[in-house]
Amino acid sequence: MTERFQTVGNPLLEDPKMRVRNASVFYADKQAIFDVDLDIGKNQVISMIGPSGCGKSTFLRCLNRMNDTIDICRVEGQLELDGQDINDRKIDVVELRARVGMVFQKPNPFPKSIYENVAYGARIHGLTDNKVQLDDLVEQCLQRCGLWKEVKDRLHEPATGLSGGQQQRLCIARAIAVNPEVILMDEPCSALDPIATATVEELIHELSQNFTICIVTHSMQQAARVSERTAYFHLGKLIEVNDTSKVFTNPEHQLTEEYITGRIG
Amino acid sequence: MSLAPLALFLISATAVAYFIGYLRAFKIAKPLGGVRNLAALPTYYASMVSLWALIPGLIVLALWVALDGAVIESLVKASLPEEAKYLPADKLGLVLNQVALVAQGLGDISILGLEYQAAVERQMRLTQLSRDALPLLVGSIAIISLLIGLRSVTAAHNARYSVERLFNIALFLCSCIAILTTVGIVFSVMFESWQFFQLVPLSEFLFGTHWSPQIAIRADQAGASGSFGVLPLIVGTLLISAIALLIAVPVGLLSAIYLSEYASARVRNVVKPALEILAGVPTVVYGFFAALTVAPAIREVGDAARAWGAENGVVWLANLNVSSESALAAGMVMGIMIIPFVSSLSDDVINAVPQSLRDGSYGLGATQSETIKKVIFPAALPGIVGGILLAASRAIGETMIVVMAAGLAANLTVNPLEAVTTVTVQIVTLLVGDQEFDSAKTLAAFALGLFLFLITLALNIVALRVVKKYREQYE
Repeated sequence: MTERFQTVGNPLLEDPKMRVRNASVFYADKQAIFDVDLDIGKNQVISMIGPSGCGKSTFLRCLNRMNDTIDICRVEGQLELDGQDINDRKIDVVELRARVGMVFQKPNPFPKSIYENVAYGARIHGLTDNKVQLDDLVEQCLQRCGLWKEVKDRLHEPATGLSGGQQQRLCIARAIAVNPEVILMDEPCSALDPIATATVEELIHELSQNFTICIVTHSMQQAARVSERTAYFHLGKLIEVNDTSKVFTNPEHQLTEEYITGRIG
Repeated sequence: MSLAPLALFLISATAVAYFIGYLRAFKIAKPLGGVRNLAALPTYYASMVSLWALIPGLIVLALWVALDGAVIESLVKASLPEEAKYLPADKLGLVLNQVALVAQGLGDISILGLEYQAAVERQMRLTQLSRDALPLLVGSIAIISLLIGLRSVTAAHNARYSVERLFNIALFLCSCIAILTTVGIVFSVMFESWQFFQLVPLSEFLFGTHWSPQIAIRADQAGASGSFGVLPLIVGTLLISAIALLIAVPVGLLSAIYLSEYASARVRNVVKPALEILAGVPTVVYGFFAALTVAPAIREVGDAARAWGAENGVVWLANLNVSSESALAAGMVMGIMIIPFVSSLSDDVINAVPQSLRDGSYGLGATQSETIKKVIFPAALPGIVGGILLAASRAIGETMIVVMAAGLAANLTVNPLEAVTTVTVQIVTLLVGDQEFDSAKTLAAFALGLFLFLITLALNIVALRVVKKYREQYE
């Protein structure tokens, strides 16, 4: 064993929403994440940046056990949500994922109507008792994502007919309809044009008042715009965690500096 | 007449032409400063010359072989004695045949009479001429066209263009063969069916409820009036296909879902090929399995149920009558046979549902079964329906199992315990045995064939449309 890498900056917080200690991820025999310690603050936006293949998406997927869907993937370490161990085989992943929602890189609306996409989560978790409540919930979620005005006249048309940016906002609406506590976003804007990106970023900013958000991004400007804290990953190691302004103006670690100045990436 | 040496000659001419063309290309390239100054690569020039050597000769050879018999025959006809010229066409054909036989030394002139001597001699002469002239003609054409090909080996002429256009045409012709064959089959079936409908009105065929295709061979024969109502056959076909689908769809679909969503890679690698082996069992094997194992078993169960019903006073059970050849047996076995169609096609379309949709659903906290029921299955449904329709058209066209297990009795019934018959079984029985080829009985087979073809064609078109629509959804 090589000596354990020490993350620089302030990876730990008082009273965090999620607490990660010693997390390692393996794909078959290959280790993808090395002993990550990180706290994620309540109702904060934290962004994960780093070059391609550095493990930031893999790390994100640990936080709601999405790595379970990959057969050869194994997660070790201690991962807690409000003090509860979520890496325990015995916990109910369905409940966990209802509390920790996820938005993906490519907009992936279900091939159903716009309405049904948003109503999906509410239906499977039994969040509403009748049609009126469900209608309300759908409207409310679409409102919050700024989509209501655009789609209210075609709620029952296929979601796949929306533009890319609208689809991604629909996916966010679909995620918040379950009323999660944490929302994980895996490069949510990488398939969108700049205008749609700006809309989604604004949305992330608004959502951060009520939700804890972890966002993986390739765009350093995006990280700087939307997040309060930034974590820099490099080759599966968490190199540096600091307030976003500090990471982008005065990084502590040399690798971070090289990345944000464009020398690696 | 032996074509083998001639074919060998053409092939070797082609090979030699390739070689010459290749050398020639280099030769004209040399003064120009190398191959790069030619319009095409030397191999293209070589191919062009060899195709020149091959194709014109081949065309002449094919035409000659196809036509020389007819040409000789019409020339010989002129030498027949006067009285033979006024014979009816079929007799004339016979005479000409005999002339050809005698000319080949397979018969004696006495069977025809001496007045036919001139015709026989002419036949011999012309055959000999044809035999001698063909190699000469084909050989000289091959060599002349080879020379023409060589002349077009010039730096400016782009041989790649000619060669590729020719291959394009060849590929097109190959693809035409399948289409033309289908068209030919359809037209011949349509023609015979049309003849059938001259004898039996279309309305009787389509809406008649009685099928008994016995036609009197002699005018005084009793009890063989023949009736051609297709309804009992259609109902029988649909009944058996419905039973088959009732078994194949749930089993096939659920195993596809298991294999694509739940099974570990190890289980999948064993079970999927094993399921597909089912598709490789010859249908005749399924047939005797149905006839010798399943049908008697069903009958025994039925008999036991009847005995029990009689004892305990359950009237409907006591009246139960299970035929030893039942639609149920044939349908069940056919259902087993088409399971792999349903499961394999469904498995493919379920796997084609993007992983991102699964992730999206899991990411919202859906369980695996919710994801399958509410996201994957609806997304894959059009493709699954397409697969089921393809399986259905397979079931409707299936012959061997029903021949062996369903029986020949054309009962108009939907009771699966009775013997029924199907369109395909009737086609087989109509054409087996000695029949006049223009009787309504034989022609009925073609009408049935056309009918069956139209049904499966319609099913296939619908299936392909549905599958196509499904494909567009994710592209």
